Amino acid sequence: MSAEFLILILGFIFGFYMAWNIGANDVANSMASAVGAKAITIRQAVFIAGILNIVGATFIGSHVTNTIRKGIISTEVMSDPHVALVGALAALLAAALWVSFATWRSLPVSTTHSIVGAMIGFGIMAGGFSMIKWAKLGAVVLSWVISPVFSLVIGFVMFKIIVQVIISRDAAFERSIRYSPYFVGVAMFVVALSFVFKTPLGLTLKLSTPAALAIALILAVIFGFLGKVLLQKFVRKKDVEGSGAESVFRRIQIGTSCYVALAQGANDVANAIGPLAVIYFLVKTGSIGAKVPVPIFLLLFGGVGIALGIGMAGRRVMTTIGTKITTVTNTRGFSVDFAAATTVLLASKLGLPVSTTHAAVGGVMGVGLARGFEAVNFRIIFQIMIYWVLTVPAAAVTSMILFKIIRIFY
Amino acid sequence: MRLPFMSMFMTSPFDGIQEHAEVIKDCAWSFQEAVECHISLKCVRFDALRGDIIEMEREADAIKRRVRGHLPKGTLMPVDKFQLFRYLREQDSVLDSVEHALDWLSVRSEVEIPKELQQDVLHLVDTVLDPIDELHVMVQEAREYFRTFREEQRVKVKDIIRSLRHQEREADRVEHTLKSKVFNMDTDPVTIFHVVRLSEIIGSIADHAENAGDMMRAMVAK
Repeated sequence: MSAEFLILILGFIFGFYMAWNIGANDVANSMASAVGAKAITIRQAVFIAGILNIVGATFIGSHVTNTIRKGIISTEVMSDPHVALVGALAALLAAALWVSFATWRSLPVSTTHSIVGAMIGFGIMAGGFSMIKWAKLGAVVLSWVISPVFSLVIGFVMFKIIVQVIISRDAAFERSIRYSPYFVGVAMFVVALSFVFKTPLGLTLKLSTPAALAIALILAVIFGFLGKVLLQKFVRKKDVEGSGAESVFRRIQIGTSCYVALAQGANDVANAIGPLAVIYFLVKTGSIGAKVPVPIFLLLFGGVGIALGIGMAGRRVMTTIGTKITTVTNTRGFSVDFAAATTVLLASKLGLPVSTTHAAVGGVMGVGLARGFEAVNFRIIFQIMIYWVLTVPAAAVTSMILFKIIRIFY
Repeated sequence: MRLPFMSMFMTSPFDGIQEHAEVIKDCAWSFQEAVECHISLKCVRFDALRGDIIEMEREADAIKRRVRGHLPKGTLMPVDKFQLFRYLREQDSVLDSVEHALDWLSVRSEVEIPKELQQDVLHLVDTVLDPIDELHVMVQEAREYFRTFREEQRVKVKDIIRSLRHQEREADRVEHTLKSKVFNMDTDPVTIFHVVRLSEIIGSIADHAENAGDMMRAMVAK
C-alpha cells in the first residue's frame, strides 16, 4: 500500500469526522429557535435537519471547490503536491479537532472559520507569513463584528414590525393571516436570493442581479399568497390558543428553519469535503490547480456525515434547548431566523466569510433589545465571542503542529 | 451540559414571581380561617393554621431568593431589574404581614378579642383578602402584556392596579373605624393596644398590595 493511498484513507476518515462535527455543532443554528418555540419536536428537528442536510449537501453543494477555502492563503503553497497533500490532511484534522472540542464544550463556533484558521496554519508552515492574504484575514475579523451587528438590527426591526402590525393589535389572529403574505413573501424573497447567490446550484445558473431579483420577487409573491391560502386552510381560529398570532407564525417558522438547514448542508459540506477533494485529486492525478471538481459521491459522503452528526450529537443539544428555553415564542423565533438568513445573504454578497452562528446570536440580541424576551442573558455573548476569535488561531496552531508531525512520517 | 448560545435564554423571572403570587393567594384562605378560629375561642386549629402560613412564608421566601439569585448581570428583560426586585419585595411583604398578624394574635391567644369588636376585625380581614387574591391575576395579565404589548392588555393591568388602590382605601377606612371604636371603649389598655396594633398590621397587608400595584404600574409604563 502506497503512502498516498494511506493518506487518502486518512483523508476520508478525517473528512467524515469533520462532517460529523459540523452536524453536531451546527444543528442548533438551524433548528434551535424552532424547537425552543415549540414549532417542532426534538425528534422532528433531528429528522428534518438530517434529511435536509443530506439533500442540501448532495444536490445543492458545490461541485467545484476552491483548493483553499475563502482564498485565505496564496495558492502557491499548493504547487508542491507533496506539501499540499500533507497540508490538506493536517488542516482537515486540525479543524475537525477544534470543532470537536467546541462541540464537547457545547460552544457555537463557526466551522468555516475553523477550516480557514487551519489553512492559515498550514500556509504559514509551508511558505511563511507572506503566504497569508491579510486582506482576506481582515474580512474574517470584520465578520465577527459586522454579522452580529447587522443581524441585531434586522432582528430588532423585524420584531418591532411584528409587534406594531400584528401582536399588539386587536384580532391579532385575523391580522396575522391577513399580513401573512408579506411575512412569508419577504422571507421567501430572502430565501430565493440566498439560493441564487449563495448556494453553488444557484451560482451555476449564472443569473444577473436584476434577473435574480425579479425571480425572487415573483417567487415571493407566489409563495406569499400560497402561504396565506395554506395557513387559512390549516390554522383554524378555534384550535389556536391565546391571540392566535403565535400559531400562525409557528407554521411560517417551520419553513424558515427548514431553509436554514438546507442552506447549511449546501454551504458547510465544503468545509469537510473541500480538503478531502484536494487529497482525492492529488492522489488520483498528481497535481492540482486553484479549483478542484468535487465528485457527487464525496458530497453525499459529507452530507451523510453531517446527518449522522446531527442524529448522534444533535439530539443532546436539542434536548437541552427543548427543556431549557421556555421564553421563546414563534414571533420571536421567526424574527431571529429571518435576521440570521438575511444577514448571511447580505454579508456573503459583500464577500464576508460569515457564519450562521454569528448571525443567529446577533438576531437573538436584536429581539432582546426590542424587549421581546422575558429574560435573556447578554453576558454570555462575550463568552461566545471569545470563542469566535479563538477559533482561527486555535485551528491554525493545531494545524501547524499536525503538519510538522505528519511531515515526520511522510 | 453547558451551552452558551442556548443559555442566553434563561428561565424567566416572571415564572418565579407568578409562583410567589400563587403562594400568597393560597395563604388568604388559611389567614381568614385562622382569625375566625382565634375569635371563636372554641377552635383548636389556630396553631395548625398559623403553622401553615409560616410554612408558606418560608416557601415564598425561597422563591423570592431564587428569583433574585438567578438574574445575572447583563440580563435583558422587558422591565428594569430593580423594578422587578422592588415589586417582589412588596409582594413578599404582603405575606410577611399576614404572618405577622397571626403572630400578633398568638402572643395573646388566651384572651379573646372583645365581643363588640369581633365583627369589625373580621370585616377588616375580609377587606384585605381581595387585594391578596388580586396579585396573581395582575402578574398573569402583566405577563400577557409583555408577550403581546397590546394596549387593551395594559389597560387590564392598570384596572387591577386601580382596584388595588380602592381596596387599600377601603381597608384604611375600616381600620380607622375599628381603631376609633377601640379607643372609645371602656376596656383595659392592654386590650386596646393589642387590637390597635392588630388592625394596623392587618391594614398593612392592603398597603403592601397597593405598593406592589404601584411597582407594577411602573413596569408596564410605556
